[in-house]
Amino acid sequence: MIGDYKGTVKNKVVVALLQAYHDILDYDGMKSILREAEMMYIKDIRDENPNDSIDFFSFKKIISAQNCLLYDSSILLFEIGKKFSFYLFPFGIRFEEIIDEINASISTDWKVKIIENNENEIVVRVNKCIFCSEIGVPCDLFEGFLVHSLQKSLPSEHMVIYEIKKIDVNSPEHNNFVVKLRIKRNFK
Amino acid sequence: MGDDKKRQWALKLALLGDPAVGKTSLIDKYITDSFNENYQPTLGVNIVTKDIKLEEINSDIRLLLWDIAGQAKYELTRKMFFQGCSGALFVYDKTRYSTFENITSKWLEDFIKFGKPDGVYILVGNKLDLKDSIKVSSEEGKLLSQKINATEFIETSAKYGENVEMAFKKLVLHILKKSGVKFELD
Repeated sequence: MIGDYKGTVKNKVVVALLQAYHDILDYDGMKSILREAEMMYIKDIRDENPNDSIDFFSFKKIISAQNCLLYDSSILLFEIGKKFSFYLFPFGIRFEEIIDEINASISTDWKVKIIENNENEIVVRVNKCIFCSEIGVPCDLFEGFLVHSLQKSLPSEHMVIYEIKKIDVNSPEHNNFVVKLRIKRNFK
Repeated sequence: MGDDKKRQWALKLALLGDPAVGKTSLIDKYITDSFNENYQPTLGVNIVTKDIKLEEINSDIRLLLWDIAGQAKYELTRKMFFQGCSGALFVYDKTRYSTFENITSKWLEDFIKFGKPDGVYILVGNKLDLKDSIKVSSEEGKLLSQKINATEFIETSAKYGENVEMAFKKLVLHILKKSGVKFELD
Protein backbone atom coordinates (compact mmCIF):
# COMPACT_ATOMS: atom_id res chain seq x y z
CA MET A 1 0.00 0.00 0.00
CA ILE A 2 1.50 3.30 -1.10
CA GLY A 3 0.06 6.62 0.03
CA ASP A 4 -0.76 8.85 2.91
CA TYR A 5 -3.23 7.19 5.26
CA LYS A 6 -3.95 9.72 7.97
CA GLY A 7 -7.21 9.69 9.86
CA THR A 8 -9.48 7.60 12.03
CA VAL A 9 -12.47 5.32 11.56
CA LYS A 10 -15.06 4.67 14.25
CA ASN A 11 -15.30 1.12 15.53
CA LYS A 12 -18.98 0.94 14.56
CA VAL A 13 -17.97 1.33 10.89
CA VAL A 14 -15.56 -1.59 11.14
CA VAL A 15 -18.15 -3.71 12.98
CA ALA A 16 -20.79 -2.98 10.30
CA LEU A 17 -18.35 -3.86 7.52
CA LEU A 18 -17.33 -7.12 9.17
CA GLN A 19 -20.97 -8.06 9.70
CA ALA A 20 -21.63 -7.32 6.03
CA TYR A 21 -18.75 -9.63 5.03
CA HIS A 22 -20.11 -12.27 7.38
CA ASP A 23 -23.62 -12.06 5.90
CA ILE A 24 -22.52 -12.30 2.29
CA LEU A 25 -19.35 -14.43 2.46
CA ASP A 26 -20.00 -16.18 5.80
CA TYR A 27 -17.39 -16.72 8.49
CA ASP A 28 -14.61 -18.12 6.31
CA GLY A 29 -15.07 -15.33 3.77
CA MET A 30 -14.76 -12.67 6.47
CA LYS A 31 -11.71 -14.43 7.87
CA SER A 32 -10.14 -14.60 4.40
CA ILE A 33 -10.27 -10.81 4.11
CA LEU A 34 -8.89 -10.22 7.61
CA ARG A 35 -6.13 -12.79 7.07
CA GLU A 36 -5.14 -11.14 3.78
CA ALA A 37 -5.12 -7.76 5.57
CA GLU A 38 -3.07 -9.22 8.44
CA MET A 39 -5.78 -7.88 10.74
CA MET A 40 -7.21 -11.06 12.25
CA TYR A 41 -7.06 -9.56 15.72
CA ILE A 42 -9.81 -7.09 14.80
CA LYS A 43 -12.53 -9.71 14.39
CA ASP A 44 -13.66 -9.25 17.99
CA ILE A 45 -13.96 -5.47 17.67
CA ARG A 46 -17.72 -5.61 18.30
CA ASP A 47 -16.97 -6.01 22.02
CA GLU A 48 -15.36 -2.57 22.07
CA ASN A 49 -16.92 0.88 22.38
CA PRO A 50 -18.54 1.65 18.96
CA ASN A 51 -17.59 5.30 19.18
CA ASP A 52 -13.91 4.64 19.77
CA SER A 53 -11.76 4.63 16.64
CA ILE A 54 -9.08 2.71 14.83
CA ASP A 55 -6.46 4.41 12.69
CA PHE A 56 -7.34 4.88 9.04
CA PHE A 57 -4.28 2.92 7.86
CA SER A 58 -5.62 -0.25 9.54
CA PHE A 59 -9.05 0.27 8.00
CA LYS A 60 -7.51 0.80 4.59
CA LYS A 61 -5.61 -2.47 4.93
CA ILE A 62 -8.97 -4.26 5.24
CA ILE A 63 -10.39 -2.44 2.21
CA SER A 64 -7.30 -3.21 0.13
CA ALA A 65 -7.50 -6.89 1.07
CA GLN A 66 -11.19 -6.90 0.19
CA ASN A 67 -10.50 -5.33 -3.20
CA CYS A 68 -7.72 -7.83 -3.88
CA LEU A 69 -9.72 -10.94 -2.98
CA LEU A 70 -13.00 -9.72 -4.47
CA TYR A 71 -11.41 -8.73 -7.76
CA ASP A 72 -13.98 -8.94 -10.57
CA SER A 73 -16.78 -9.62 -8.07
CA SER A 74 -18.91 -6.50 -8.50
CA ILE A 75 -22.20 -8.19 -7.55
CA LEU A 76 -20.77 -9.36 -4.23
CA LEU A 77 -19.28 -5.93 -3.50
CA PHE A 78 -22.62 -4.25 -4.23
CA GLU A 79 -24.40 -6.66 -1.89
CA ILE A 80 -21.76 -6.12 0.80
CA GLY A 81 -22.33 -2.36 0.42
CA LYS A 82 -26.07 -2.80 1.00
CA LYS A 83 -25.47 -4.88 4.11
CA PHE A 84 -22.88 -2.38 5.32
CA SER A 85 -25.55 0.31 5.23
CA PHE A 86 -28.04 -2.00 6.95
CA TYR A 87 -25.70 -2.70 9.87
CA LEU A 88 -24.30 0.82 10.20
CA PHE A 89 -27.74 2.43 10.22
CA PRO A 90 -30.15 -0.30 11.33
CA PHE A 91 -32.92 2.14 12.18
CA GLY A 92 -34.49 4.42 9.60
CA ILE A 93 -32.87 7.84 9.47
CA ARG A 94 -32.94 10.47 6.77
CA PHE A 95 -30.56 10.03 3.86
CA GLU A 96 -28.99 13.43 4.55
CA GLU A 97 -28.18 12.32 8.09
CA ILE A 98 -26.61 9.12 6.80
CA ILE A 99 -24.30 11.13 4.54
CA ASP A 100 -23.33 13.43 7.42
CA GLU A 101 -22.74 10.45 9.67
CA ILE A 102 -20.56 8.49 7.22
CA ASN A 103 -18.40 11.60 6.67
CA ALA A 104 -18.05 12.04 10.42
CA SER A 105 -17.39 8.35 11.14
CA ILE A 106 -14.61 7.99 8.57
CA SER A 107 -12.41 10.95 9.22
CA THR A 108 -9.78 11.20 6.48
CA ASP A 109 -9.15 12.93 3.17
CA TRP A 110 -12.43 12.10 1.43
CA LYS A 111 -15.85 13.68 1.05
CA VAL A 112 -19.36 12.50 0.29
CA LYS A 113 -21.72 15.32 -0.61
CA ILE A 114 -25.31 15.64 -1.79
CA ILE A 115 -25.20 18.06 -4.71
CA GLU A 116 -28.82 17.82 -5.84
CA ASN A 117 -31.84 16.80 -3.86
CA ASN A 118 -35.43 16.87 -5.06
CA GLU A 119 -38.40 14.54 -4.85
CA ASN A 120 -37.40 12.64 -7.99
CA GLU A 121 -33.65 12.49 -7.75
CA ILE A 122 -30.71 12.75 -5.42
CA VAL A 123 -27.24 13.27 -6.82
CA VAL A 124 -24.24 12.42 -4.67
CA ARG A 125 -20.66 13.37 -5.37
CA VAL A 126 -17.90 11.26 -3.85
CA ASN A 127 -14.41 12.71 -3.77
CA LYS A 128 -11.43 10.43 -3.11
CA CYS A 129 -13.63 7.47 -2.30
CA ILE A 130 -11.72 5.32 0.17
CA PHE A 131 -13.49 2.13 -0.86
CA CYS A 132 -12.05 2.03 -4.37
CA SER A 133 -8.83 4.05 -4.35
CA GLU A 134 -6.81 1.18 -5.85
CA ILE A 135 -6.28 1.41 -9.60
CA GLY A 136 -8.56 -0.97 -11.46
CA VAL A 137 -11.16 -1.24 -8.70
CA PRO A 138 -14.69 0.01 -9.41
CA CYS A 139 -16.77 1.33 -6.53
CA ASP A 140 -19.58 -1.18 -6.33
CA LEU A 141 -19.44 -1.36 -2.54
CA PHE A 142 -20.11 2.30 -1.91
CA GLU A 143 -22.77 2.41 -4.64
CA GLY A 144 -24.55 -0.44 -2.89
CA PHE A 145 -24.23 1.48 0.36
CA LEU A 146 -25.78 4.64 -1.14
CA VAL A 147 -28.61 2.81 -2.90
CA HIS A 148 -29.65 0.89 0.20
CA SER A 149 -29.25 3.93 2.46
CA LEU A 150 -31.65 5.93 0.31
CA GLN A 151 -34.02 3.02 -0.24
CA LYS A 152 -34.60 2.44 3.44
CA SER A 153 -35.22 6.11 4.13
CA LEU A 154 -38.12 6.15 1.63
CA PRO A 155 -41.69 4.88 1.99
CA SER A 156 -42.13 1.30 0.81
CA GLU A 157 -43.83 2.15 -2.51
CA HIS A 158 -40.71 4.04 -3.63
CA MET A 159 -37.88 2.38 -5.48
CA VAL A 160 -34.35 3.64 -6.09
CA ILE A 161 -32.89 3.39 -9.57
CA TYR A 162 -29.25 4.34 -9.69
CA GLU A 163 -26.98 5.50 -12.41
CA ILE A 164 -23.24 5.98 -12.39
CA LYS A 165 -21.34 7.61 -15.22
CA LYS A 166 -19.03 5.03 -16.78
CA ILE A 167 -15.55 5.74 -15.52
CA ASP A 168 -12.17 4.40 -16.49
CA VAL A 169 -11.11 2.41 -13.43
CA ASN A 170 -7.51 2.56 -14.61
CA SER A 171 -7.45 6.34 -14.26
CA PRO A 172 -5.90 7.61 -11.00
CA GLU A 173 -8.96 9.88 -10.73
CA HIS A 174 -11.48 7.06 -10.86
CA ASN A 175 -12.37 7.37 -7.18
CA ASN A 176 -13.94 10.78 -7.79
CA PHE A 177 -17.41 10.13 -9.14
CA VAL A 178 -21.05 11.10 -9.13
CA VAL A 179 -23.95 8.76 -8.41
CA LYS A 180 -27.48 9.65 -9.52
CA LEU A 181 -30.19 8.06 -7.43
CA ARG A 182 -33.58 8.35 -9.10
CA ILE A 183 -36.70 7.74 -7.05
CA LYS A 184 -39.50 5.86 -8.76
CA ARG A 185 -42.95 5.54 -7.25
CA ASN A 186 -44.86 2.31 -7.74
CA PHE A 187 -48.54 3.20 -7.55
CA LYS A 188 -50.89 0.31 -7.09
CA MET B 1 6.81 -16.63 -27.84
CA GLY B 2 8.43 -13.64 -29.45
CA ASP B 3 7.30 -11.16 -26.78
CA ASP B 4 10.02 -10.40 -24.20
CA LYS B 5 7.92 -8.15 -21.97
CA LYS B 6 6.88 -9.82 -18.72
CA ARG B 7 3.11 -10.06 -18.45
CA GLN B 8 1.00 -9.96 -15.31
CA TRP B 9 -2.32 -11.67 -14.76
CA ALA B 10 -4.90 -12.04 -12.02
CA LEU B 11 -7.08 -15.10 -12.34
CA LYS B 12 -10.08 -16.00 -10.20
CA LEU B 13 -10.41 -19.77 -9.95
CA ALA B 14 -13.10 -21.76 -8.15
CA LEU B 15 -13.05 -25.20 -6.62
CA LEU B 16 -16.48 -26.76 -6.87
CA GLY B 17 -17.97 -30.00 -5.70
CA ASP B 18 -20.00 -31.67 -2.97
CA PRO B 19 -19.13 -31.30 0.72
CA ALA B 20 -16.08 -33.27 1.88
CA VAL B 21 -14.72 -34.16 -1.57
CA GLY B 22 -11.44 -32.50 -0.61
CA LYS B 23 -11.60 -28.99 -2.10
CA THR B 24 -10.03 -27.32 0.93
CA SER B 25 -7.45 -30.11 1.22
CA LEU B 26 -6.40 -29.61 -2.41
CA ILE B 27 -5.89 -25.90 -1.78
CA ASP B 28 -4.03 -26.50 1.50
CA LYS B 29 -1.73 -28.96 -0.22
CA TYR B 30 -1.12 -26.58 -3.10
CA ILE B 31 -0.55 -23.48 -0.98
CA THR B 32 1.12 -24.77 2.18
CA ASP B 33 1.95 -28.40 1.38
CA SER B 34 -0.12 -29.48 4.37
CA PHE B 35 -2.96 -31.94 4.94
CA ASN B 36 -5.44 -31.97 7.81
CA GLU B 37 -7.01 -35.37 8.65
CA ASN B 38 -9.93 -33.74 10.49
CA TYR B 39 -12.75 -32.55 8.25
CA GLN B 40 -13.98 -29.03 8.92
CA PRO B 41 -16.62 -27.80 6.48
CA THR B 42 -15.96 -24.46 4.79
CA LEU B 43 -18.39 -21.77 5.91
CA GLY B 44 -19.34 -19.74 2.84
CA VAL B 45 -16.16 -19.23 0.91
CA ASN B 46 -12.51 -19.36 1.78
CA ILE B 47 -10.41 -17.18 -0.51
CA VAL B 48 -6.64 -17.46 -0.72
CA THR B 49 -4.06 -15.99 -3.06
CA LYS B 50 -0.99 -17.55 -4.57
CA ASP B 51 1.52 -15.80 -6.76
CA ILE B 52 3.16 -17.98 -9.37
CA LYS B 53 5.68 -17.46 -12.13
CA LEU B 54 5.33 -19.30 -15.41
CA GLU B 55 8.70 -19.01 -17.11
CA GLU B 56 7.45 -20.78 -20.22
CA ILE B 57 5.18 -17.86 -21.01
CA ASN B 58 7.19 -15.17 -19.22
CA SER B 59 4.33 -14.29 -16.88
CA ASP B 60 3.66 -13.48 -13.25
CA ILE B 61 0.24 -14.64 -12.18
CA ARG B 62 -1.78 -13.94 -9.06
CA LEU B 63 -4.24 -16.73 -8.44
CA LEU B 64 -7.35 -15.99 -6.39
CA LEU B 65 -8.50 -19.40 -5.27
CA TRP B 66 -12.14 -19.56 -4.20
CA ASP B 67 -12.86 -22.60 -2.09
CA ILE B 68 -16.65 -22.56 -2.23
CA ALA B 69 -18.72 -24.40 0.38
CA GLY B 70 -20.57 -27.40 -0.98
CA GLN B 71 -23.47 -27.34 1.48
CA ALA B 72 -27.02 -26.84 0.18
CA LYS B 73 -27.62 -23.85 2.48
CA TYR B 74 -25.28 -21.74 0.33
CA GLU B 75 -27.14 -22.34 -2.92
CA LEU B 76 -28.49 -18.80 -3.19
CA THR B 77 -25.31 -16.88 -2.36
CA ARG B 78 -23.03 -19.31 -4.19
CA LYS B 79 -24.23 -18.07 -7.57
CA MET B 80 -22.77 -14.64 -6.81
CA PHE B 81 -19.39 -16.24 -6.08
CA PHE B 82 -19.05 -17.42 -9.68
CA GLN B 83 -18.91 -13.93 -11.18
CA GLY B 84 -15.58 -13.33 -12.87
CA CYS B 85 -14.35 -16.93 -12.52
CA SER B 86 -11.94 -17.70 -15.33
CA GLY B 87 -11.79 -21.36 -14.49
CA ALA B 88 -12.77 -24.11 -12.12
CA LEU B 89 -11.72 -27.46 -10.81
CA PHE B 90 -14.79 -29.68 -10.52
CA VAL B 91 -13.88 -32.05 -7.73
CA TYR B 92 -15.53 -35.36 -6.85
CA ASP B 93 -14.59 -38.02 -4.33
CA LYS B 94 -13.62 -41.28 -6.01
CA THR B 95 -15.04 -43.21 -3.05
CA ARG B 96 -18.54 -41.65 -3.17
CA TYR B 97 -20.52 -42.11 -6.40
CA SER B 98 -23.08 -39.41 -5.59
CA THR B 99 -20.37 -36.73 -5.62
CA PHE B 100 -19.49 -37.84 -9.17
CA GLU B 101 -23.12 -37.69 -10.32
CA ASN B 102 -23.59 -34.23 -8.84
CA ILE B 103 -20.86 -32.76 -11.07
CA THR B 104 -23.26 -32.60 -14.01
CA SER B 105 -26.56 -32.33 -12.19
CA LYS B 106 -25.48 -29.51 -9.92
CA TRP B 107 -22.04 -27.92 -10.22
CA LEU B 108 -21.48 -27.65 -13.96
CA GLU B 109 -24.87 -26.12 -14.60
CA ASP B 110 -24.32 -23.32 -12.09
CA PHE B 111 -20.80 -22.56 -13.28
CA ILE B 112 -21.88 -22.29 -16.92
CA LYS B 113 -24.84 -20.13 -15.97
CA PHE B 114 -23.10 -17.74 -13.59
CA GLY B 115 -19.37 -17.88 -14.42
CA LYS B 116 -17.57 -16.34 -17.41
CA PRO B 117 -19.00 -17.63 -20.70
CA ASP B 118 -15.55 -18.76 -21.87
CA GLY B 119 -14.63 -20.30 -18.49
CA VAL B 120 -12.27 -23.27 -18.55
CA TYR B 121 -12.70 -26.30 -16.29
CA ILE B 122 -10.93 -29.49 -15.36
CA LEU B 123 -12.55 -32.56 -13.84
CA VAL B 124 -10.72 -33.82 -10.76
CA GLY B 125 -11.24 -37.21 -9.13
CA ASN B 126 -9.80 -36.83 -5.63
CA LYS B 127 -8.86 -39.35 -2.88
CA LEU B 128 -6.87 -41.50 -5.27
CA ASP B 129 -5.01 -42.86 -2.24
CA LEU B 130 -8.09 -44.63 -0.81
CA LYS B 131 -7.55 -47.54 -3.20
CA ASP B 132 -9.72 -50.09 -1.35
CA SER B 133 -12.80 -47.87 -1.29
CA ILE B 134 -12.87 -46.59 -4.88
CA LYS B 135 -16.37 -46.48 -6.36
CA VAL B 136 -15.74 -44.34 -9.46
CA SER B 137 -13.34 -45.84 -11.98
CA SER B 138 -10.80 -43.81 -13.93
CA GLU B 139 -12.60 -44.82 -17.11
CA GLU B 140 -15.87 -43.31 -15.87
CA GLY B 141 -14.01 -40.12 -14.98
CA LYS B 142 -12.51 -39.88 -18.46
CA LEU B 143 -15.88 -40.45 -20.09
CA LEU B 144 -17.54 -37.78 -17.97
CA SER B 145 -14.79 -35.26 -18.71
CA GLN B 146 -15.38 -35.80 -22.44
CA LYS B 147 -19.13 -35.56 -22.02
CA ILE B 148 -18.96 -32.22 -20.16
CA ASN B 149 -16.20 -30.82 -22.39
CA ALA B 150 -13.71 -30.49 -19.57
CA THR B 151 -10.27 -29.56 -20.88
CA GLU B 152 -8.61 -32.30 -18.81
CA PHE B 153 -9.33 -35.15 -16.46
CA ILE B 154 -6.92 -35.51 -13.54
CA GLU B 155 -6.93 -37.84 -10.55
CA THR B 156 -5.40 -36.49 -7.36
CA SER B 157 -4.54 -37.33 -3.80
CA ALA B 158 -4.70 -34.22 -1.64
CA LYS B 159 -3.26 -36.31 1.18
CA TYR B 160 -0.05 -37.24 -0.60
CA GLY B 161 0.05 -34.38 -3.09
CA GLU B 162 -0.19 -36.58 -6.17
CA ASN B 163 -1.01 -34.45 -9.25
CA VAL B 164 -2.20 -31.55 -7.10
CA GLU B 165 0.20 -28.92 -8.40
CA MET B 166 -0.29 -30.21 -11.93
CA ALA B 167 -4.08 -29.76 -11.69
CA PHE B 168 -3.76 -26.08 -10.78
CA LYS B 169 -0.99 -25.39 -13.28
CA LYS B 170 -2.85 -27.06 -16.13
CA LEU B 171 -5.97 -25.07 -15.34
CA VAL B 172 -3.98 -21.83 -15.50
CA LEU B 173 -2.26 -22.79 -18.74
CA HIS B 174 -5.54 -23.75 -20.39
CA ILE B 175 -7.10 -20.43 -19.35
CA LEU B 176 -4.18 -18.45 -20.76
CA LYS B 177 -4.18 -20.50 -23.93
CA LYS B 178 -7.88 -19.85 -24.40
CA SER B 179 -7.38 -16.14 -23.84
CA GLY B 180 -4.91 -16.01 -26.72
CA VAL B 181 -1.47 -16.47 -25.16
CA LYS B 182 0.67 -18.42 -27.61
CA PHE B 183 2.68 -21.38 -26.29
CA GLU B 184 2.92 -25.12 -26.61
CA LEU B 185 0.82 -27.05 -24.11
CA ASP B 186 2.04 -30.56 -23.24
